[in-house]
Amino acid sequence: MIPFRSYIQKIQPVFWVTLLLMLVFNFFSSRFLSLHNIINLFQQGAVLLIVAAASTLVILSEGLDLSLGSVLTLSGITSVMSVNSGAPVSVAIGIGILTGLICGAITGTLISIFHMQPFIATLGIQGVYYGISLVLTDSVAILTKNSSFIFFGSRIGYLPMAALIGVGAFLLILLVFHKTPFGRYIVAIGGNESGTRLSGVNTRFWKWFLYTFAGGVTGFAGVLLASRLEAADPIVGVGWEFDAIAATILGGTSFQKGKGGVAGTALGVLLITVVRNGLNVIRTPSILQPALIGTILIIAIVIQVGLSMRSTKKEGKNKP
Amino acid sequence: MMNKKSMLSTMDPNTVSGVGRVFALLLICIAMGFVSPVFFTARNISLIITNASIMAILGVGLTVTVITCGPDLSVGSILTITAVVAVIMVKANFHFLLSFAVALIVGTSLGLLNGVLVTKIGLPSFISTYGLQWALFGFAYVILKGYVIYNFDADFRFIGNGYLFGHISMPIVVMMVVVFLGWFILRKTTIGRMFYATGANRDAARMSGIDTGKAILLAFGISGFLSALAGIVLVARINACQADIGKNILLPSLATVYMGGTRATGGQGGVFGTLVGAVIMTVVENGMNLLGVPSVWRNAIIGSLIILTVLANIAVSKQLEKAGSKV
Repeated sequence: MIPFRSYIQKIQPVFWVTLLLMLVFNFFSSRFLSLHNIINLFQQGAVLLIVAAASTLVILSEGLDLSLGSVLTLSGITSVMSVNSGAPVSVAIGIGILTGLICGAITGTLISIFHMQPFIATLGIQGVYYGISLVLTDSVAILTKNSSFIFFGSRIGYLPMAALIGVGAFLLILLVFHKTPFGRYIVAIGGNESGTRLSGVNTRFWKWFLYTFAGGVTGFAGVLLASRLEAADPIVGVGWEFDAIAATILGGTSFQKGKGGVAGTALGVLLITVVRNGLNVIRTPSILQPALIGTILIIAIVIQVGLSMRSTKKEGKNKP
Repeated sequence: MMNKKSMLSTMDPNTVSGVGRVFALLLICIAMGFVSPVFFTARNISLIITNASIMAILGVGLTVTVITCGPDLSVGSILTITAVVAVIMVKANFHFLLSFAVALIVGTSLGLLNGVLVTKIGLPSFISTYGLQWALFGFAYVILKGYVIYNFDADFRFIGNGYLFGHISMPIVVMMVVVFLGWFILRKTTIGRMFYATGANRDAARMSGIDTGKAILLAFGISGFLSALAGIVLVARINACQADIGKNILLPSLATVYMGGTRATGGQGGVFGTLVGAVIMTVVENGMNLLGVPSVWRNAIIGSLIILTVLANIAVSKQLEKAGSKV
């Protein structure tokens, strides 16, 4: 883990960019910074916050999970299907999380037991999970009217449940990362895997466990998303894995040597959510939005990585 | 006296797996012949070879990037945006050769952009190329606005559905040229050695004086160029273009490369394997069609195919290492 101060320095640019974007959006539409829309922002960012936290853990171990979007989709589908077939809501949520855990365990097995490269294993398995989603739903969205299931995505007065749950889950993951051996092993594996193994850590198990954990967390996020949308759509998760990776990078985590942390990812999620929400609020034509968002994210990542590369070079020069 | 095992270990490992691959292809074909009576008709065979050509054109570019530093995950999106550019231009009454040229330039530039993101900014290739694809698909959608553009001039379509000397289908001609050039560059030129060296061990290559940045840039440039070429051939062949034309092409083309025996870890592989891989992939897709496998299963099948292939590659290379160390 890098020292706190340089970590704060590292995520500074994202903070300023986010602030700038907020002001720009507010200039075009004064509704952007209204209380109503700020609550909206939290509600919209909640699911990404959870997925991005999972993605950050994986990237900190020098891994990558491109299957998270498809896990998000599949677990939403299994939970909605079970609630529609009359299962109690708690069981449905459990089934969603279990789906995520199983998906993650399969991915983890491919990577840690069979030594596949993470991005190939997760890209291939992404095809499989999307395939299963399409088969289960026959390519159409399944709606749900179960009032206690959609309660978790609704609002009580001004209070958006999804945002509360999202922030709660994020804090829990943060706690796991900072306060458990699991969190330390992730960073250690990312920093030096063979060194970690030689010092007696069962890296194979912990890597497997990491992908399983990320799958389970994403499964929970999938249930939350389905509950908020009151539906499970077989293509709802397309591209989420990249948003999650982008949020991780923007939050100051680098893909090498386990540098970074989970906390900064929240800032990355805020930036992405501000962009998505802001483009809507200022009424950008919806046809333009995917191209704009894709371009903005790439540029933001380039700026973030470019700046942090420059600062690490400077640090290197200062040292004798 | 030589027993079977030591025979195997004295042969070139690439030859062993290459022969195995062709053998696997033959087995799949024979099995398909038994299951579907139409499989071995002349019409179906020529359909397979022509479809495999487009996959192989794309696959050669992908092979070069996999060998050098990691797969170009934006091939499907570059194919889409360049195809869109080409059809828009030709519909605006530009000369078809000009539209090809612009499409190829756009494709190459986007490939080089990938290269710059990797070498100058320091992004891992799977993140920059994976990220770029969302923006490119977005732009294709902006340009076409969900419309399908179809019905092009015979001149434009020649590269996709014409016949050279009246008999040889044009996609096959293009594919043969691309595979030959790919083989030549990889095996017979310094640039090719640079690609392999960079992929095998980037630090070692840099320390022994190889300009690894240039190698990566070139590899992505080639991949962008060939994606554009594949896009042109594809729209010319199917005579229509829409914004999601390349959306489902990444997984099969990756499967093509890995089935061709190119190592996922880089530094090993070649274009002839990719050619065989492309035929296997096309036979599998053709088989799914002939057997009436519902299209919803397609992604699941191709995804599992990638995983099984890469697992098999890992197992084979381990076996070969063991056999090699015993000699």
